Amino acid sequence: MKNILRNSIYLGKNMFRDMSFTFWGLMYPIILAGFFYIAFSGIINMEIKTINVGIGRENQAYPILENVEILNVMEIHENDAEKSLKSGKIDGYIKNDLTLVVDGSGLNQTVIKGILDQIIQIIALNEPMQNLDFEVNYLSAKTQEANPMLVIFYSLIAMVSTYGVFPGIETAVTSQANLTDIGARINTTPIKKSTLLISGVIDGLLINIFSNILLLLFLRFVLKMDLFTNIWYSGIFILLGNLFGVSLGIFVGSSNKKSPGVKVMFSIATTLFLSFLSGMMSPNIKVSIDKNVPILGKINPISIITNSLYKINLLGNTRNLSQGMILLAVYSLVLMAVSYLFLGRSQYDSI
Amino acid sequence: MVIKAENIVKKYKELNALDHFNMEVKEGEILGLLGPNGCGKTTAINCILSLLKFDEGDIQIFGQKMTPTSYNIKKQIGLVPQEVAVFENLTVEENIDYFCGLYIEDKNIRREYVKEVIDFVGLTEYKKFYPKKLSGGLKRRLNIACGISHKPKLIFLDEPTVAVDAQSRNFILEGIKRLNKEGSTIIYTTHYLEEAEMLCDRIIIMDRGKSLVTGTVEELKSITSTREKIIAGFENPEEDISDKIKSIPHVLDVGKAHGEYIINFENGTNNLSNLLDFIKDNDLTYTKLYSQLPSLNDVFLELTGKELRE
Ligand SMILES: Nc1ncnc2c1ncn2[C@@H]1O[C@H](COP(=O)(O)OP(=O)(O)OP(=O)(O)O)[C@@H](O)[C@H]1O
Ligand SMILES: [Mg+2]
Repeated sequence: MKNILRNSIYLGKNMFRDMSFTFWGLMYPIILAGFFYIAFSGIINMEIKTINVGIGRENQAYPILENVEILNVMEIHENDAEKSLKSGKIDGYIKNDLTLVVDGSGLNQTVIKGILDQIIQIIALNEPMQNLDFEVNYLSAKTQEANPMLVIFYSLIAMVSTYGVFPGIETAVTSQANLTDIGARINTTPIKKSTLLISGVIDGLLINIFSNILLLLFLRFVLKMDLFTNIWYSGIFILLGNLFGVSLGIFVGSSNKKSPGVKVMFSIATTLFLSFLSGMMSPNIKVSIDKNVPILGKINPISIITNSLYKINLLGNTRNLSQGMILLAVYSLVLMAVSYLFLGRSQYDSI
Repeated sequence: MVIKAENIVKKYKELNALDHFNMEVKEGEILGLLGPNGCGKTTAINCILSLLKFDEGDIQIFGQKMTPTSYNIKKQIGLVPQEVAVFENLTVEENIDYFCGLYIEDKNIRREYVKEVIDFVGLTEYKKFYPKKLSGGLKRRLNIACGISHKPKLIFLDEPTVAVDAQSRNFILEGIKRLNKEGSTIIYTTHYLEEAEMLCDRIIIMDRGKSLVTGTVEELKSITSTREKIIAGFENPEEDISDKIKSIPHVLDVGKAHGEYIINFENGTNNLSNLLDFIKDNDLTYTKLYSQLPSLNDVFLELTGKELRE
């Protein structure tokens, strides 16, 4: 225990003072956040232009929709729906059985879908209409909160939550005699490998959580963005992202003999690509992937975190989160278990 | 016996990095592993320390079989690796304290030891420096300090003086002698003959993964058939007189380098006076004439047919 603590302190200091951590861990996320903010601020601060929804007068959702500020509800008969959609007069049509008909995909359609899903849920639960609180946590407050552009920021947070991948790599390579000189040296000392690895995992988590908190503070107090309505559920996903990141790092670090520099670049590229798929560069990518290859959004760890943060905070929906949580935990465990096979070999064929 | 390594074979694909390598280390001695680049010195150390798997052979340290989990053996060993291996983002003092702490749990003792070793390697002024701010020689001293701060009974030093200036080198060699006087057994690898000669109690000469001979410097020199070597330069004549010189009694062979003759004799009585007689008889004038005892280089040359010089 004392050994673990001592190792954590020294290895942690060594990682924390590293220039590449200062950049990738502390500055890069903030630079990206600032960059996205500037690039998309026009869109974010813009009032959402009114979304036109067509619906029949007799539809049970009609009175609810009428009260939603940003929706312009138009009374249209189901027979005319198609024509109105084609002409662009409405963005979506809600049929009497509460299914949504759209012509094309976009942000407006996503918003309608989000609202409709909630209505359906409430109706299914047979709750009184007054309990319909989505206006509070979804729409009524500020237009900003309703803006799907915020996917970009959830995706950024999701990405950097996995940046424990860097301390993970560092931990793996310093503990292996065939990967670094320092690893060889450490393997001649009486320290147990498990002590070394546990210390590294603790360091990786602490350092990256620190860097995540810094980013969140920057978003909240410098960019003044209100991204979190449910910090607890959000926190769980961010922590799972950290666990996944560190596990991935240990796996990338231990599974091959490439140089640490190559491993770091590989990790940056991988997390960036997964974030791209989850909508970090443009929410339309996410919308399009959700539509065409929905499985991708369900298994991409960064998408899981992005989608969950979006659902929790933007749609105020905390149901059905467990599937994502379990999957992230399983990923982490599998990566750790496979890494263990690589790390366990304590005598090497070649150094 | 502190270390007993018998018939170690280590193969890298076709290459035999160690080819039935043998080594015995006695308590309290400085043992030199001497051999050219790539002869397997580092490989031998890595096998002994259980870092590398080897194909055949048996290794015992302090009379016990060495394995990767022999923590009790490892506690008594210090390694100064060939490549500087320290944490880039820890200061000199932190690095030493980290490595020392892997062996010494007691904080007070450790503080003492760290301070002592920093003085020992002469890094007191630099203890708050990060390694990248240290010169190559100072970095090597840090590398040494990290390996010896815990006062191990057995120390491996793998070419600690490579790329170090003469002053630092002497400093390091003196330090190693002191460590040995304080009771540590030392294994020292090098490809510098002079170092091995001045430092080591016993030397193992290695080539191509084999341990060729073992012994004290005197013992090794007595292996060569050359007993005396005389180097002579003449004003006249211009033509080669090697063959004539060979007629002098006891001459083994005659070589020529930089216009001087290197004459090897097989035993050491009257050789110089015989040569002087020869000079007189042939009306030669010498510009240079001195006698040398055979060096380790001659030993190596005779064993392998090549010189051990950079
Ligand atoms: N990982 C490896 N894979 C393949 N061959 C290797 C490996 N490591 C060393 N060798 C080879 O094994 C031989 C012995 O290498 P070793 O490093 O032990 O030499 P050395 O005596 O320490 O040399 P030097 O004086 O240059 O340090 C060399 O021919 C080297 O090329
Ligand atoms: Mg070597």
